[in-house]
Amino acid sequence: MTEKITHSICVGGPIAIHTEDGVIRRIRPIVFDDNDPKGWVIKARGKEYTPFRKASPAFIAMTEKNRAYSYDRIRYPMIREDFVETPDGMDRKTENRGKSGYRRASWDEALGLVAREIERIQGTYGKESVTAITSSHHSWGLLGYKLSAFARFFRMLGYTQILDNPDSWEGFHWGAPHTYGYYWRLGGPEGFDLLEDALQNVETMVMWSHDPDTTRGGYAGNESTMWRHWLDDMGVQFIYIDPFNNFSAVKQADKWFGPRPGTETALCEGIAYVWLSEGLYDKEYIAKHAHRFDEWENYILGRGVDQTPKTPAWCESETGIPAADIKALARRWATTKTMGGSGLRGGFGGVARTANGTEFSRVMVQLFAMQGMGKPGQNMWVGTTGAPIDYNFWFGGYSDPLSQIANQPIADVTAVNSVTQKLYRPNLPDAILNGHYEWYGEGFCGGGLDLQFTRHIYPEPGCNPVHMFWRYGGTFMGTMLDTNKWVRMYRSPELQFVVNQDIHFHGEARFADVVLPACTNLERYDIGEFCNSGNSGYQSHSQTGCSWQVVVFQDKAIEPLWESRSDFWIFAQVAERLGWGDKFTENRDELGWCKRFWEKSDLCEKISWEDFTKKGYYVAGVPEERERHYGFRWFAEEYPCDTPNHKHFQEEGKLGTFTGKFEFVSESLLYYAPHDEARTPIATYKHSWEGHHSIKADKYPFHLISPHPRFDYHTQHNSSTPWLWEIPENRKYINGNPYLIARIHPEKAEAKGIKEGDLVRLFNERGSVLCVARVTYRCEKNTIHAYGSSGIYNPVKPGDTSMDIGGCVNILTPGRLIGSMVPGMAPNSTLIDIEKYEGEIPEGQMFEHKLDAVAKSADPEAETCMDIISGHGFESIQAKARELYLNKQKEATK
Amino acid sequence: MRLGIAIDSRTCMACYCCLTACKDEHCGFDSALTKKQPMMGQQWIDIREWERSDSSRLVKVASVPTPCSHCEDPACMKAAKDGAVYKRPDGIVIIDPEKSKGQKAIVDACPINAVYWNEELEIPQKCTMCAELLDDPDYLSYLGDSKVKVPRCVEACPNGALVFGDLDDPDSDISKIIAANRETQLEPLAGQKTNVVHLNVPTVYLAGTVYYPKSMEEVCIGAKVKATCEDGTVCEMETNYFGDWIFEDLPKKKNFTVEITMDGYKPVKYEAFTDSDHYVDMTYLEEA
Repeated sequence: MTEKITHSICVGGPIAIHTEDGVIRRIRPIVFDDNDPKGWVIKARGKEYTPFRKASPAFIAMTEKNRAYSYDRIRYPMIREDFVETPDGMDRKTENRGKSGYRRASWDEALGLVAREIERIQGTYGKESVTAITSSHHSWGLLGYKLSAFARFFRMLGYTQILDNPDSWEGFHWGAPHTYGYYWRLGGPEGFDLLEDALQNVETMVMWSHDPDTTRGGYAGNESTMWRHWLDDMGVQFIYIDPFNNFSAVKQADKWFGPRPGTETALCEGIAYVWLSEGLYDKEYIAKHAHRFDEWENYILGRGVDQTPKTPAWCESETGIPAADIKALARRWATTKTMGGSGLRGGFGGVARTANGTEFSRVMVQLFAMQGMGKPGQNMWVGTTGAPIDYNFWFGGYSDPLSQIANQPIADVTAVNSVTQKLYRPNLPDAILNGHYEWYGEGFCGGGLDLQFTRHIYPEPGCNPVHMFWRYGGTFMGTMLDTNKWVRMYRSPELQFVVNQDIHFHGEARFADVVLPACTNLERYDIGEFCNSGNSGYQSHSQTGCSWQVVVFQDKAIEPLWESRSDFWIFAQVAERLGWGDKFTENRDELGWCKRFWEKSDLCEKISWEDFTKKGYYVAGVPEERERHYGFRWFAEEYPCDTPNHKHFQEEGKLGTFTGKFEFVSESLLYYAPHDEARTPIATYKHSWEGHHSIKADKYPFHLISPHPRFDYHTQHNSSTPWLWEIPENRKYINGNPYLIARIHPEKAEAKGIKEGDLVRLFNERGSVLCVARVTYRCEKNTIHAYGSSGIYNPVKPGDTSMDIGGCVNILTPGRLIGSMVPGMAPNSTLIDIEKYEGEIPEGQMFEHKLDAVAKSADPEAETCMDIISGHGFESIQAKARELYLNKQKEATK
Repeated sequence: MRLGIAIDSRTCMACYCCLTACKDEHCGFDSALTKKQPMMGQQWIDIREWERSDSSRLVKVASVPTPCSHCEDPACMKAAKDGAVYKRPDGIVIIDPEKSKGQKAIVDACPINAVYWNEELEIPQKCTMCAELLDDPDYLSYLGDSKVKVPRCVEACPNGALVFGDLDDPDSDISKIIAANRETQLEPLAGQKTNVVHLNVPTVYLAGTVYYPKSMEEVCIGAKVKATCEDGTVCEMETNYFGDWIFEDLPKKKNFTVEITMDGYKPVKYEAFTDSDHYVDMTYLEEA
């Protein structure tokens, strides 16, 4: 028996992979050995704190074996069975996309078709007529990741780029920079070294719209959960504010407040009212650092345009939280050393994804400013960032231009896109269906405040619309808004040709004309650092969300399964057929590219390539006499800014706003967008365009909130890992279908005749989704909670906008953006109704059987879904792989 | 030597790392001691949870990861024929996959439902405490450190909520953790000695919030709250900065009298029964 151990990273964190005879036996966390450096030590309140000597991935990381041998892997290149390669791109039965089956094709046939179509379409309509997009984080690694191999290929080809929207933290991106700058951090605060600060100083944590055990610092696995336990143990008070008493709160909260969804900004204003009327804020700090504070103060106290004082009683009428509690909250916050913020890393959270998201984010920053933000124990920090780090060790992260194979210095020649036309992701279907779309902003506007106000029109003057769409990795059925809009887009003949390149046969892959099977991270080479999103990119140093800084050689554990291939290989093959294969690869193989990242980073000074690839990972130790650069302390204590990735004006004590101060009346908004209805110069609570004040609420009285999922990562695990269906808080398996859990308050459930475990239909004018009811006091009374990013999309009638039984609640969310000038999405401003489902349980539409049909049409010997779920297929897939491996070994030794 | 796992419900956050690691190890693979676990249907470490609440004013969730308890005197062993269940010298209880064939009584005998029936193989199956890995001299030897040889669930736990070690050694981590925490045996195993030791499983709370008269819109900080149990024991506290009071880990199924007093206001009295967790009331004081 040949046994080996290799390493990799996935979105859940780093893993050790045991393989035996060419098949994966087990997936474990990486446990450090005696040769790895010591962990950091933080001394605080008479104790010493140091992390466990292992990396702590999330549970989803331990399912990587399943994801590799999953029944829903795309095994062979496939072509839609009724697709005809008409010479003019017409009459291609596009209305059957999502409905039709597939036939198996050879790589040669599939790649040839793709290359011919690119040449035909670009030759007929120009380079801009091809468009392509990745989803966020369907895999990990600097070579295979979206900003690397994908970007290199399409920039060299020339294509209409689809701008990403900052879909996890919209309000902070489009709002907060107008209050405190940090556009280069995309609106998020600095967390540097604040773990130590918190352990030493903090007394109260305000965890607003924040479920850290669920969102896990982005991709930091469970690295920070111990930190919060330490804080809890020393008596720090945790106050959670969220319409859903979330999974961290039920474990840790000393107090939970569940405001009515969409009224969070009102709660902020109520808190400010208490502080202003009782003098409970840092007047000296505000006098020095705030701009036009008095005008905002007038507004809060009822002397502004609306003449409405934001009293606790007013606040109670909006939020449903008793006025007395609001006063107590405000006083606790003001009279103790308080840290907090919203969501994931402090500038995120479900509230940022509401119609009032920009205003909430701005007022949140204003509240922390009022309490002397940056002073010890007083900061925007939510317990998920700011571990000690060796600031002098540099290894790139994915958003870092220096760490992408599209660019120098990793590549010899930087790939540049020759097309200027753009599209915008949330509105891609509108642009395709209407042939026209216009919007403001560059999607991610890290380069400056002005970038939020650039003007775009599609098609760009002089450009043709797009006719070919190449979708790479993951599925937007589940993550993007108003899912049925995407279905309609795919059926449009405007899209003459659709390619989908993915690992699993997810919801969106089923709408393609050609499906290209990519392999998982475990079947190819790559290199990457745990949770590093880019040291000089956006939101720099996110790896401080981990206790350990770990760079991993993502070794190939097994050969690609079936006929799947690495993404790099696929792009290189198409490039080859288009005549620029050598330019794309620069004659490097995948291992050769991995080595470039070692060579061009500090890693090459720490460990040889041979030792690194043999050991499989490198832990960057933190020196005992480490540097400290406390986030925002430079501002509060007025010394030249010393935090990493700062701007020159910070050294003069200025923020990135027009005035360099906290702008309580935003000068940048007055300059760029004085008439913006969603972002007024003074950030104010505004009734949601889809909220309880809307007329629509008469018909659809419940707020649907669909936060980032606890039992998945985006859409990648639920469909491929049936184990997760047995988690009672996640799904319930009825009649061959894993239904998503939707939560409802007991009082409302009773009024609706809904009992625990009932099938319920969530619906509005956009569609309907069948879920299973969980009746719980954890929900605010008017709220239905069901996790977003459903890994499963399963309409009763495939290819149609029919009822979904996969739990894809984004079918219900509005496609409308936050404001006419704020191109952020707002899925948490959704009104729905709910009813007990008494119709027939959709049979014959069972999830498994549908996938079986696909597997069978591509491979007559394919295991059926049911077999794999009940245990046999998984093993037989492994047995076949083992046999193949052993035969190869035998031949090699002959 | 008596190998065991201490499981702390206070630090467990139900992250499901233990369950996925367990399934990763046992699903679809035979081992030296047991047959493969089916892909679906069995949870050798089952995360049992219940919501502790009768009001949206206060909700807590109890999480109790529950593997086989590896009892000192296992009921399943008594129910088994032909020595199909045996106890190893290190205390780990193992079901012999050959001898146990057809013996459903082994499943039924377990007081905590931690033994599962494999329909296909017709055998009872359960947690082995990863004894097959602990026994294997090659497993993890590449790390050159046998200290890390622990059951998969323990290795995967990010919070140290699961601690593995020798219960007979008073200096082991597990013995120290148990000594420093509240031992809470699972109810069906009350009075029995087990190698899996549950810590800090909550019982029942009584809680509430005290306010000044409604028109004042103020929480009442520092009100005295006294809970008297029918057995005469008394607990007391003052309301905190939110006017909240809570008595945790009360004995179950007892009658309590809760008295709230504040100078200048009429005292308030409640009767409560600890059948389950109760948020007693939002108490609005009246002037005396």
